Amino acid sequence: MTAGIDVRQFVKRDRVHRDIYEDPAIFELEMDRVFAHAWVYVGHESQVPNVGDFFCANIGTQPLVMARHTDNKVYVLHNRCGHRGVQVVNTQQGNAKLLRCMFHGWTFRANGEVAGVTQPEGYATDLKLDPVAYGMPKVARMESYLGFVFVSLSPTGPSFKEYFGGALSALDDLVAYAPDGEVELTGGVLRYAYPGNWKFQADNSCDMYHVVYSHESSRKGNTQYIRRPGDAGGIPFFDNSNKVVTFDASGLWAFDGGHGWEGAVTQSHGNNAPWYADYVALLEKKHGPERTREILTRKRHNSIFYPNLVIQDLNMHVRLIRPIRVDLTEVVIFPIKLKGAPNEMFLESVRMLNTTNSAASLTQADDVEAFARGHAGLRTKNGNPWVLIARGDGKEENDPVYENGLRTFGSSELLLRKQYASWLNWMTQEA
Amino acid sequence: MADLNTQPHATAARALSPTDELLLVRELERFVAFELNLLDGREFEAWCDLFTADGIYWAPSRVEQDDPLGEVSLLYDDHEIRQMRFLRLRHPRVHAQVPFSRTSHMIGNLTIDEVNEDRGEIAFHCRFVMHDYRPEWAQREFAGRYDYRLVRDGSSLKIKLKKATVINCDAMHFPISIPL
Repeated sequence: MTAGIDVRQFVKRDRVHRDIYEDPAIFELEMDRVFAHAWVYVGHESQVPNVGDFFCANIGTQPLVMARHTDNKVYVLHNRCGHRGVQVVNTQQGNAKLLRCMFHGWTFRANGEVAGVTQPEGYATDLKLDPVAYGMPKVARMESYLGFVFVSLSPTGPSFKEYFGGALSALDDLVAYAPDGEVELTGGVLRYAYPGNWKFQADNSCDMYHVVYSHESSRKGNTQYIRRPGDAGGIPFFDNSNKVVTFDASGLWAFDGGHGWEGAVTQSHGNNAPWYADYVALLEKKHGPERTREILTRKRHNSIFYPNLVIQDLNMHVRLIRPIRVDLTEVVIFPIKLKGAPNEMFLESVRMLNTTNSAASLTQADDVEAFARGHAGLRTKNGNPWVLIARGDGKEENDPVYENGLRTFGSSELLLRKQYASWLNWMTQEA
Repeated sequence: MADLNTQPHATAARALSPTDELLLVRELERFVAFELNLLDGREFEAWCDLFTADGIYWAPSRVEQDDPLGEVSLLYDDHEIRQMRFLRLRHPRVHAQVPFSRTSHMIGNLTIDEVNEDRGEIAFHCRFVMHDYRPEWAQREFAGRYDYRLVRDGSSLKIKLKKATVINCDAMHFPISIPL
């Protein structure tokens, strides 16, 4: 039992209950049990490149700030004053020598410590204004992996490596695309919202079953529209018979914790563009032809790091899922730039992100429509309260390439079953 | 891409006689009314035909955004993407527009920025309000500034650039299916 609600009744092996999408009490529990305990993505170190840079983020509904201190390290702080709890940083990003609370003028360093208390003589001498205890609190645990910053707001629980395990290979392979071996998040931000639960977006992040139906309007013949100049076609939906969906063959990988990815939907990432040969040459110069071939054998389309981070290989970007209310979710898109790669590669990616992931997208709008109608349909309480996630049940097999990795066909709902097993695990933890 | 930004040009309109300015403002207002009526009337193909072959429709994701190539935008449509956008809107299974949005675009405060006789180009800006209503969704209001760069093509005007800067373009939005 968790605060009067037995959440176990809501998750079966092959189905989950509509209440977990619609009940505000369960949403509040999730903000604590899932978002304040699991390892959750906050941002990338490249968003705060210089000392004094800060960037605001959220874990669930809690405000955080990621900042770079004078020791050149990145810290993630709860965005509240040590005095009366007022939110200290009020702009999305910027640079400041000290973070200053507007209410009574207390100032803080980027590592959270109090820099100055105004009129300190007003406090009793026995109240020791310890700079840490009265600072902006640091999050309980933080891990930066290849610049991607994750935090857990709980001091206990599985370690970062235990939680993500073999799924971290998706980040290893991502940075390997960069000739300089590093990526940065730059090129602006796109934000869209939908009236529905955050899990609709998490569910859909690696769903290869919906594509040909939800996105039918952006299909021309057997393929979606062309994403890169020089390509003969877009993402193939069907094989030449126009009957068999191609995504099953590209596969799906899933891990304990609810992480995983879709197999690559196309091997062309602008391979016919004029700059592509230069890009390959840059990789070969660093790694030699064999390793370069291995790097460029695309393995993934979307990867999810449950619960809130999705990374796409094709139009490279980070997608961050931000729950606001039980029935309102924001999704934030950050383009990924491969350091050392020809700039044209990044420009093409930006150009296509406008069409795929902005609020005015040609494809995302249909996903949002599905989420909104999901929220509308799941107001159904009588009749059938269940959401079926049974597709491909039992068809998965071990993939020895990845630590504890499972592989199955592309349109399987295996990853959903893994996500809800993870969800139930967090939700039934002792507080 | 600084040339995409039509900076206020205080001297441009003054170079015109008061009568010429009045006539030009009226001509531009009629052009924009015609253009926006096409959008509100869902005559998207005719709307596309108002653009030059290299014409751009741009809605930045940040009010100060001056680079549409190195930074993401709400929309940055060249001819090819405009074609895709409206082919999609004509598809019977364009789920995000079933039922479709009803829109109402209005403009005011039209100000001429530059008249370049040599290039046959006219730059001007105005304020706009666009309402978007889809049955079952709350009606939404977008407000902001249009920056136009038009070119004379014989007796008609064509759009070389239309930039729609929404005052809350950096906020999260539900899907935007009809151009702002």
